Amino acid sequence: MKKFENLIYSILDSKTKKFMVILLTALAFFGTLLMFPTKLVLAKMLPGKSDNTYSIYIDTPTGSSMSETKKVSDCVVNILRSEKEIQHIELFYGQGIPLDYAGLVKGSGMKQSENVAEISVNLSDKHHREEPSYLMTQRLRPKVQSTCSNVVKGSNIKFIEQPAGPPTMASIVVEVQGDNKEEIRKLSLDVASILSKTKGLVDVDVMSDDSYEKYELVLDKQKVAESALDIKQINDLLYLSFEGMAIANKNAKKVGGEIPIFLVLSKDTKVLEDNSKEALEAKLMSLNLMNMAGMMVPLSEVVEIKKVKPSGMIMHKDLTRMINVIAETDMVSQVYPLLEARDVMMEHFAKKGYTVEKEAGMSTYMFDLHLTNKQTGEKYLLRWDGEMKVTLDTFRDLGGAFIAALIMIFLLLVIYYKSFILSGIVLLGSFLSLIGVILGHFIADLVTKDTFFLTATSLIGFIALMGISSRNSLLLIDFAKGLINCQNIPKKRAIAIASATRAKPIALTAIAIILGSALLASDPVFGGLGVALISGTVAAVFVSLLFVPILMDNAKAMDKDEDNETCNIEESHQNISITK
Amino acid sequence: MSSTTKYEITDVAGKFAKGFLKNPLTPILGIFLLLIGFIALQVMPREEDPQIAISGGSVIIPLPGASPEEIENIIVEPLERKLREIHGVEHVYGMSMDNVGVVNVMYYIGQNREDSNLKLYDKVMQNSDLLPKGAMTPIIKPFDIDIDIPIVSIAFYTKEGSKLSPNALREKVVAIQNKMNMIDNVAKTELKGDHKTQYNVEVDMYKLSAYNLSMGQIMQSIQSLASNAPEVKGRTMDGKITMFGVENAIESVEDVKNVVVASYMGSTINLGDVANVYEGVDTQKFQDASIIQKENNNSHDSKLGKETSQVTLSVAKLAGTNAVFVSQDVMKLLSSYDKAFEKEGIGYVVTRNYGDRANHAVNELMSHLVITIIIIAVMLVFALGWKESLIVTFTIPAILAITLFIAYMTGQTINRITLFAFLLSLGLLVDAAIIVIENIHRHLHAHDVDSKSMEELLVEATDEIGAPTNIATLAIIMTMVPMAFVGGMMGSFMKPIPYNVPVALFASLIVAYIFTPYLSLKLLKKPTHKHHHDDEDLSHNNHTVLEHK
Repeated sequence: MKKFENLIYSILDSKTKKFMVILLTALAFFGTLLMFPTKLVLAKMLPGKSDNTYSIYIDTPTGSSMSETKKVSDCVVNILRSEKEIQHIELFYGQGIPLDYAGLVKGSGMKQSENVAEISVNLSDKHHREEPSYLMTQRLRPKVQSTCSNVVKGSNIKFIEQPAGPPTMASIVVEVQGDNKEEIRKLSLDVASILSKTKGLVDVDVMSDDSYEKYELVLDKQKVAESALDIKQINDLLYLSFEGMAIANKNAKKVGGEIPIFLVLSKDTKVLEDNSKEALEAKLMSLNLMNMAGMMVPLSEVVEIKKVKPSGMIMHKDLTRMINVIAETDMVSQVYPLLEARDVMMEHFAKKGYTVEKEAGMSTYMFDLHLTNKQTGEKYLLRWDGEMKVTLDTFRDLGGAFIAALIMIFLLLVIYYKSFILSGIVLLGSFLSLIGVILGHFIADLVTKDTFFLTATSLIGFIALMGISSRNSLLLIDFAKGLINCQNIPKKRAIAIASATRAKPIALTAIAIILGSALLASDPVFGGLGVALISGTVAAVFVSLLFVPILMDNAKAMDKDEDNETCNIEESHQNISITK
Repeated sequence: MSSTTKYEITDVAGKFAKGFLKNPLTPILGIFLLLIGFIALQVMPREEDPQIAISGGSVIIPLPGASPEEIENIIVEPLERKLREIHGVEHVYGMSMDNVGVVNVMYYIGQNREDSNLKLYDKVMQNSDLLPKGAMTPIIKPFDIDIDIPIVSIAFYTKEGSKLSPNALREKVVAIQNKMNMIDNVAKTELKGDHKTQYNVEVDMYKLSAYNLSMGQIMQSIQSLASNAPEVKGRTMDGKITMFGVENAIESVEDVKNVVVASYMGSTINLGDVANVYEGVDTQKFQDASIIQKENNNSHDSKLGKETSQVTLSVAKLAGTNAVFVSQDVMKLLSSYDKAFEKEGIGYVVTRNYGDRANHAVNELMSHLVITIIIIAVMLVFALGWKESLIVTFTIPAILAITLFIAYMTGQTINRITLFAFLLSLGLLVDAAIIVIENIHRHLHAHDVDSKSMEELLVEATDEIGAPTNIATLAIIMTMVPMAFVGGMMGSFMKPIPYNVPVALFASLIVAYIFTPYLSLKLLKKPTHKHHHDDEDLSHNNHTVLEHK
């Protein structure tokens, strides 16, 4: 202890040594801050968590049949069969799997068409399995997508993992907003192609109906009237023949519910030869209707077949037309691919004859791009939503919470010390624990196999650290003041003694925090908090024992208080130190 | 320097210490605290993730025969405008499709669910006069996560060699589903991949034209026979009642087959002549489900078997109830069917059990908590001595018990985040006790130890560090409080941290002031004079102090 006391004293005593310590601290602080722009430490809201289950969403193009969708899912299942860790695979055709957190916001519960299927994959328990689920999906994704997407052209296969935190629609969502329906469709396709070319982004999908062809039967009103038919009869017949209808019910005595009697044309007689207009015409020729006079009229007599393009679903968000383009990130933070894709988009759309403007000012929509068509003057908006928006919102709110915490601690200290400078020293000291937090993440990233992200939980850890490290400085200042005022010890020596004496309890509580957080650090979600606490506490110990004493020495507020009142309060310390 | 005069208590710390030091109720209070904590731990609802209040709903308005553009203009846009007027709505999403318009409303996170649902319903109903002619009654479906997300899902399938038809399997599962709904706190149960019994009439189009018949005729002839007649009461002369009824014309699939659709040159044409009539399942339902599982469940290396069709029964629980208990009850009920299943050749796989998962997650974190407490205790043995370590270690469960009980009273659940909040606070909450015990330790080895009674000394030692400890703890609490105001999904997700850490820290102060001196009185003794090795640092400091005097 004597050695440590002398070390502090020698630093305080020499101006150059003092300057060196301040310089080193400043260097360390700005050095670690530089780790963000140089991407040595990556930020993300929440990292992935290994789970015992994941799901695969299959979307074949709009208008595809169940059997086409089944072909794609069979292909996917075939690849999954070679996986040893899979316990069971559940397939749900034409609907979503029983709702889970991921599906909740991804609209899985609303699925109800022949062109969708969802596969739920259950793995063996994660404690007995070497490969985490997120690495497994990362490994399988390219293989499955390259083999099975082309079974039915234009199919989209997505791997969905359970979110570690709150669920979002996708990691990256680009809302293409604008009034011109055709144009936003074109823009969204461009956006999708840029996203799919960006490194780190997978599962890109445009959330709109694919364009496909359909036939419309145009009724010849004149002929309908002449053949003494009515239009409702024709509609019913068509539906009854091809889709079928439950036309009557039988009350069941044994089984639950009533038994419907379902009428439809038999499969082999209703099947069309191919997708052509002629095939449909031929089929309608043999469908007869009985008119009021009891005569049979072939359906093809009264209708004409026309090929049309359906307009498809129109999506709105807050009263504006928009199309969503979504993408997932492949084990990387969404921030960096987003910025990369955004740069490419700005260039791309500028070339295509749009004026591109960035969103003005700072807000959580700060990555948005405004496009104006130079010829027509129509305005479009590319808005970034999804996990990115949630991340920005969260970091903004946590930043606000952090500033509020700073102000509150500052006010509390001012009340206690009645000095702005001393309170400032305590705050500055605790702020410097940021060095440890960032450095800790860098080291954690080096020692772990996957990328270790600075997450929202790291930020929470940092906020908690503020309180912890301000306590260290607080006890130090308290003690030193007591020595200076009551025992007339010179300022420099008193500060050195205080540092040396408080070193033990400071280290003791620091060890308690480090041990307490050690098990947190291994958790995927709260690892950030654990690492922040551990490394931040280490930094806080050094800062409060080496750096804070220098600030104290320079502060006038630490000078001997001639007013002896403070001494009475500090009488207790007098007891500790003197009585022997 | 003689400061042996009566010590004056200046801080709440000293008052607490003095008040409880000789009080016979102190140990009872300690036991009581541990007990309520234990009870809270047992009865508190457990779940994996904390509940996030997400409110919202969909309004579905069908308008048959309208194109997406029409729907957009006359249904979706006016409706969106009206729904935007609701207070607390964050986003409105409109979808205009053929024949139907859907508007989804998302409220800000944390809005009261019941109020939000009511507001949505109210708004739509108030403006139902704006709906276009021909539009059907709006369907309003609120999102309800607790009820919508099943905690257990079970896949039922027929084993190889079983003669059970898909619809017969469904009947069995429906029977179980009914029983499931009898379990306490079970909310919604749902079937997926099920197929109902149905009489299929598949008409051959070519035969139809051969017999010169139309689909309409066939429909009419079936409908004319398929009516169910009520019983008729006839009265006799002497005022009694005679009951009689008409037997339904269609009782079995054979009856359907024999329906006469036309008579042709004197001979009748039955439905069976022009159509394939059979009892089957609803083939028009394209939604299907199947399962692939390992051929041998017990061996890890076994290959995946072939695809079998299945019926999935999913069970959700009511909000705020214990997922663990509900899922256990469901499993118990299910296993009571084991024998019957064996006989009928029905197999089942539990494909999801959130209750089990929540229990595992909670238990794993609880063991982490215990391990951490032990590690800290061992560290303190080396730093302070084993008796002191024992005292500090006792305070941890007491503090956690108080926090847990308060969390229970305020309607929180035990989930991953709550336990992380405990782990986070663990490092912080031993501080107060460490600071008190360290000061007691120092006083016990101080010079004037003989001139004071043990009680006096303990109260003084506690009181002394009161003010700085209070301020320091308050500083940490203050860093946590603003976090409660973080909005959005993440804010709600993290809420247990700002809710529980300050409570734990506050409890740590109280417990440190009450129990640390009390237990020190019971466990620690004043050292004899020869015993000096412990306060080396201290004496050393005093020397330096004196040197510079």
